[in-house]
Amino acid sequence: MRRRRARRGICERRGRWGWAFVLPSLVFFGLFSIYPVLNALYLSFFQKHLLSSAAPRFIGFGNYQYLFQSPTFWNSLKVTGIFTGGTFAMLVGLSLVLALFISSRKRFQRFLQLAFFSPAVVSTVVAAAIWLLIFDPRGIANQLVNTFAGTPGVDHRWLVAPGMLQFATMLVYVWKYVGYFTIIFIAGISSIPRSLIEAARVDGASVWQTFWKVTFPLLKPTTLLVSVVAMIQCLRTFSTQYLFSQAGSPRGPIDVITLNVYHTAVRTFQIGRASALSIILFAIMLFLSWLQFRVARSEEVSYL
Amino acid sequence: MRQRNAVRRGRSALATAGVWLVLGVVLVYILGPLVFMVTASLMPAMEVTRIPYRWIPQGFHWQNYWQAIRGNDGRFFFVRNMVNSLFVATTITLSTVVLSTITGYGLAKFRFRGRKAVMLLIVATMMIPFQVVMIPLYIITTSLGMQNSYAGLIVPFLVNAFGVFLMRQYLLTFPDDILDAARIDGASEVQILWRVVFPSSWPAIATLAILTFRSQWDNLIWPLLIAQSREMQTIPIYITLFAEEKFTDEGAMMATAVLASLPMVLLFFGLSRYFVGGAQLFSAQKG
Repeated sequence: MRRRRARRGICERRGRWGWAFVLPSLVFFGLFSIYPVLNALYLSFFQKHLLSSAAPRFIGFGNYQYLFQSPTFWNSLKVTGIFTGGTFAMLVGLSLVLALFISSRKRFQRFLQLAFFSPAVVSTVVAAAIWLLIFDPRGIANQLVNTFAGTPGVDHRWLVAPGMLQFATMLVYVWKYVGYFTIIFIAGISSIPRSLIEAARVDGASVWQTFWKVTFPLLKPTTLLVSVVAMIQCLRTFSTQYLFSQAGSPRGPIDVITLNVYHTAVRTFQIGRASALSIILFAIMLFLSWLQFRVARSEEVSYL
Repeated sequence: MRQRNAVRRGRSALATAGVWLVLGVVLVYILGPLVFMVTASLMPAMEVTRIPYRWIPQGFHWQNYWQAIRGNDGRFFFVRNMVNSLFVATTITLSTVVLSTITGYGLAKFRFRGRKAVMLLIVATMMIPFQVVMIPLYIITTSLGMQNSYAGLIVPFLVNAFGVFLMRQYLLTFPDDILDAARIDGASEVQILWRVVFPSSWPAIATLAILTFRSQWDNLIWPLLIAQSREMQTIPIYITLFAEEKFTDEGAMMATAVLASLPMVLLFFGLSRYFVGGAQLFSAQKG
């Protein structure tokens, strides 16, 4: 009896250490994450000008109502959708193919991994700056397209025509992040027991069948991880669009929600409206992550 | 039979060629812009926009690098902004690594009331995009007078939920026996943390350090908000300002880009050995 009490004493003392170790970060998260989120939600119900000292005026859902009626908001939503959808599809598809190809190679594996990862090492702003020059009317993008299409001297207006501009920002983003997701996929593939794939091959399955029936289903957890991370990453894009628009591209076609939040808050000083916008962005992200986890949960993976 | 084998071999050779073709094309897409950055940084503006682009520079136009450092206004903000970026990213990386390890250890190895709630809170925090908290954070920091200061650039990022999560996942696999042995030897909890947990968490710490440093080196939106004075701006803003004046000198712009990439390149290659292991760790924990 006494021993048990003594033991519980040790547990409690240790538990207190656990609290002590957790507390600093907890206070931090409270101050710099939880409180600001609640504050953003609160602000989204008020009309407030950043520079005026006037007290914020409560307008209920006024900001949301305004947003839902404003064409700029719908444009942002559409633009974000196009960017995220396009980039996401290219990123996940390409990184999966690359990972499969690289892991099937015996030679140059490490070189290929490092090479594909290298753009992730330069910062997003540097990436945007490089591509800004590539998409220049006299730049390499035009030269390349013109060489292959046999249309010398044509300017494809990469940084001006809406569709091209959107495609251009996608190319930058895919370029920057494809290696990162490739490495995660490679790690996922290497964790699949080789015997399973060999067994399928011995049983006469083609490469194609082996991929769809064995490799791909077993890669589900990795695919899910990559999807969630990639999608959230795409929704958060800011630097590329910011830099392109600062360098003279029209803002409309690349006015993603994050850029819109920035402009609403910093250029027009409408704090309440910007908060409402950011809350909508948050809701979209939460919904998409939830959706992905649900889809994934419906088909649990097992190695049997 | 032999014929069938030959057909199969032919087909597989074709497949191999196809695979290499795809890898080659993507490799050009990936490495081309990087090669462009380096070569263009050594060319005068005239040559950068020459058609067709000459992938090998005529000579080494080192003036670009001088121009990058001097800046278009000749006030050498590059140096100051570089120091700012290095200082901010290093400080944040150190504090993130230390706090994440401590917190992750507390969550992984101690049973206490409310532990599950704390874990849930931290995972929830991971889902909050920065753009959502940005405006309230801006109001808080400016009301504390932290505009245009290192405090303003650093404080909101001292630790992040992803770091805590990563360290917890890593430390869950840490053998309890070693901790108990240390306890029996009379080590205090703080000593165990410092002498046992930290030194043996290198792979995870290196991964977290790279990821944190990189995300801070990349951070554009927060410095744009909080640092209006050119003295307090960071390298991403410096590049943005250069890009806005890009038609003045493309070569110098690329020289700036090269210089701005150096710290990350050094860090990455210095720690890449750990990082690949870290990527494996990252995927093993899944969602």
